[in-house]
Amino acid sequence: MAEPVWRRYLRFVRPDLARDVDEELAFHLQMREAEYLARGMVPAEASRLAHERFGRVADARRACLAVDRRRFAAERRLQVVDALGQDLRYGLRTLRQHRVFSAAVVVTLALGIGATTAIFSAVDAALLRPLPFADPGRLVILRGVRVPFAPNGVSAEPSESPDLRTVSAMPDVFSRTAAYAPGGLNMSGDGEALRVNVGLVTTGFFGTLGVVPAMGRGFTDEEGRIGGALVAVLSHGLWQRRYGGVPVLGKAIVLNGHSYEIVGVMPRGFVFPRESDLWIPLTVPATFSTYDAFRSWMPSETVARLAPGVTREAATSRLRELWQRVPAQYRGSWGDAPAHPLSPLQGQLVGDRQKPLWILLVTTGLLLLIACVNVTNLLLARASVRRREIAMRAVLGASRGRLVRQLLVESLLLACGGSAAGLVVAYASLGTVRALMPAGLVATAPPAVDLRVLGFAIGLALLTGLGFGLWPALGAARTNPNETLKSGGGGATTGGAGRVRRALVVAELAVALTLLAGSGLMLRSFKALLDTDPGFRTEHVGTLELTFARAVDDRGEVRRATIEAVLARLRAMPGIEAAGAINDLPLRGGGGLAITVDAEGISSDAQKSMFARYLQASAGYFQALGIPLIRGRLMAESDTKDAPHVVVVSATMAKRLWPGEDPVGRRLLDAASGRGGSRVQADSNAYRTVIGVVADVRESDLESEPDPQMYFPVHEQPPQNVAVVARGTLAPAALLAQLRDAVRAVSPAQPVYNVRTMDEVMFASLTPRRTNTVLITAFGGLALLLSVVGVYGVVAYSVTRRTRELGIRAALGATAADLVRLVAREGAAVALAGVALGLGGAWAFSRALASLLFGVRPTDTATFIAAPLLLFLLVIAATLVPARRAALLNPVDVIRQD
Amino acid sequence: MSEPVALLQGTLDLLILKAVSWGPAHGYAVARWIEQATGDALRIEEGSLYPALHRLEERGHIEAEWGLSENNRRAKFYTLTSEGRRQLRAEAASWHRFARAVLAALEAPAHPAAAVS
Repeated sequence: MAEPVWRRYLRFVRPDLARDVDEELAFHLQMREAEYLARGMVPAEASRLAHERFGRVADARRACLAVDRRRFAAERRLQVVDALGQDLRYGLRTLRQHRVFSAAVVVTLALGIGATTAIFSAVDAALLRPLPFADPGRLVILRGVRVPFAPNGVSAEPSESPDLRTVSAMPDVFSRTAAYAPGGLNMSGDGEALRVNVGLVTTGFFGTLGVVPAMGRGFTDEEGRIGGALVAVLSHGLWQRRYGGVPVLGKAIVLNGHSYEIVGVMPRGFVFPRESDLWIPLTVPATFSTYDAFRSWMPSETVARLAPGVTREAATSRLRELWQRVPAQYRGSWGDAPAHPLSPLQGQLVGDRQKPLWILLVTTGLLLLIACVNVTNLLLARASVRRREIAMRAVLGASRGRLVRQLLVESLLLACGGSAAGLVVAYASLGTVRALMPAGLVATAPPAVDLRVLGFAIGLALLTGLGFGLWPALGAARTNPNETLKSGGGGATTGGAGRVRRALVVAELAVALTLLAGSGLMLRSFKALLDTDPGFRTEHVGTLELTFARAVDDRGEVRRATIEAVLARLRAMPGIEAAGAINDLPLRGGGGLAITVDAEGISSDAQKSMFARYLQASAGYFQALGIPLIRGRLMAESDTKDAPHVVVVSATMAKRLWPGEDPVGRRLLDAASGRGGSRVQADSNAYRTVIGVVADVRESDLESEPDPQMYFPVHEQPPQNVAVVARGTLAPAALLAQLRDAVRAVSPAQPVYNVRTMDEVMFASLTPRRTNTVLITAFGGLALLLSVVGVYGVVAYSVTRRTRELGIRAALGATAADLVRLVAREGAAVALAGVALGLGGAWAFSRALASLLFGVRPTDTATFIAAPLLLFLLVIAATLVPARRAALLNPVDVIRQD
Repeated sequence: MSEPVALLQGTLDLLILKAVSWGPAHGYAVARWIEQATGDALRIEEGSLYPALHRLEERGHIEAEWGLSENNRRAKFYTLTSEGRRQLRAEAASWHRFARAVLAALEAPAHPAAAVS
């Protein structure tokens, strides 16, 4: 029987079990036939009898094959496990023998894997992992949809735009809806008074998110109506901290002077929105009593769960229809809500932090790439040293596949070591990573080194291990053992390996330059930001904040008197130069309020209904914060409730309303304090006179251009929340102590919070950008270091390899300078190629960074000159070290060596 | 030639082990040896001989290797392993005990009750 040729080759891969069985059975039948023939039977008879005696060949064949296949599979498994164990033992021994080498590789990988894993933990928490709510993909934020507000506590003003009631009445689109707002309240009662974070939530909040209290219950519909019972649900954290985890249901908790009954405790980890300590019902419509938790307005968000079968697109178009019915003059005040009324909850919480996170992940990925290239180079260098050992093993019968596997196992062991160390790095940097997280998400979905991150690190280990190990392993196994052993195992690396190593170094220099340029741009942005004039001076200024509890019949007298007394006390203290109060401290974070204003005698559409920041300042505030006066006068003690109504405006506001004119003496249509809603009721008979113009203040953050700002006298309608600001020559700690003392002396029971220097306020507002900058710069620096080490390694290795050649050159009359030039030329060529490629990468990277830059163009000339220059110089410096060694060679010694 | 006897369960394995205990043998040789050694009294279905051989190989009692037969053809030769030898010894001993016991019973001279008196 002719055997098809391909079957013969199949045997190299695995034994051909079926064929073996066939052959074995055929042999038996033929032997039996031969026996019968020998006895004198005719061939046909012999064959028939032989088969008869044998029984069914097909049955025997099947039974034999089943046994053989089972046996083969078991043997294969055993072999693999056995060989792997051998490889592991051998690998570990080899790595132990080369401790320095192993340590260098593990440290390099730990940096790359650690950085990547740390950033991944943030990316995972913010962007990849679903929120810890039921079916979080169906949760959406309805933008511009708020809780209706009822200032008098009875009926809500008819709203001109969709509000919570509108969307709650659309069960075919949204199965559940709820509004929530993060705020703060003063908690007293058991233990010391303290400020707690409060989630003010409508009664459907927990149900909409699909989170059930761990103990007790959520809120009933009754409790969500005006005048309903005062109840609170605690977070697991507050329950543990404040009550030590003992049963609390039915107990009372005092918030801003009102007693609330504790009806439930949420499960551990649930703190949404922000870092809530407890939740109380937000009434619909909202009133002043639920309003207490906020500074001067209620930044409520509406969250909804899409009804089954309703897509986000369908819901969006339904909401758009609603917005189209809103009269045009109101639509403008809602920003882009009418255009994009709906966004996924997670996306909304992540906000503009998404891009920096991805950029950082790409950055660390590039860093890891450089680390891998360096390790590949180290392995290639070592492979040439180990050629003799490998050749010996090949001669002793190790197959090529076996050798490749052995070398790969070593690489994987190194990668696992690097990954383990990298996990430690990632764990240690969790604190830094938290700063990268979107503020609205960090508490709800904290970054952690969990199973997912662990899996990621293991994946990286496998990927990098194969990545940096495969090429050297294949190369090493390809060498001809006979030649290697004959030649004594030294030198003679093929030119190909050298070329590969140089190409790798060029690639890593290019990547390093990319990151270096990115670092440069980020640093220049940060510098530009620090050089930005915030409009006030932070040095020698201390501040604290307090929130007055709202008494039922309070018309502001208590607040007015308290502010007055605290400021008077402060001003009387030695070392205090100025003290003042403001409703919204600049750069404190969190929202402020902007309201529409109309100026007397102005009718142009551009200027009419301008939005301006609504601020309430006391006398002394501008002096305390060092906000320069440009024209007119500042707020004075005489600007009281009963004096003629005055206003101080910012430079931008003055320029927009009265370009080229003197604003002092001009009048604004007087508005009631803007609180209570988006729209302000104007009293058309009252005007407010501009008394002065001050410099613009960067209010929300340093990066945004200041909005028009206007300051009303704080005493007209004292706000619920006040920041007290004092400038003094005292040391910061003493200054802050005096601020506390002043409040305590006037109102001992009043809790204060955010007691800090203005420098600290500024520092905190810069934290996200600082973190980005520090990380990108650190990664850029590491990339630079690793790539320079890589260049050094390649050049040093090539010098070692060319020792003999260089010695001969020296003997033939080459001077030391000639030799240095010869070696340095190699480094320079590599550096130039790397820089050329890297400039392209840097250009692409700067495009991606563009939105993170401040005050610098992506094509910043200084960066694009300095970064390549720095890289080039460092590479040349790294080259000179081995070049010098080459120059110092004694030709006689070198040539005698063989 | 008397009517052939059906094989008892497990006996085939024992016979195979014994057959290869003389030295490497291919399947046909094993069949022939059993034929001759038992005077052809045991009729084994030759088809079932091979699965039995492969099972014994799987258990590690015998080893197989391809070689050339007496007439210069490729054949699979089976050899007894040391474990197979131990197995052969143990099974042969228990077979002897079994056979002796059965024989003793069959050839008992009297009714058990009578033997007591």
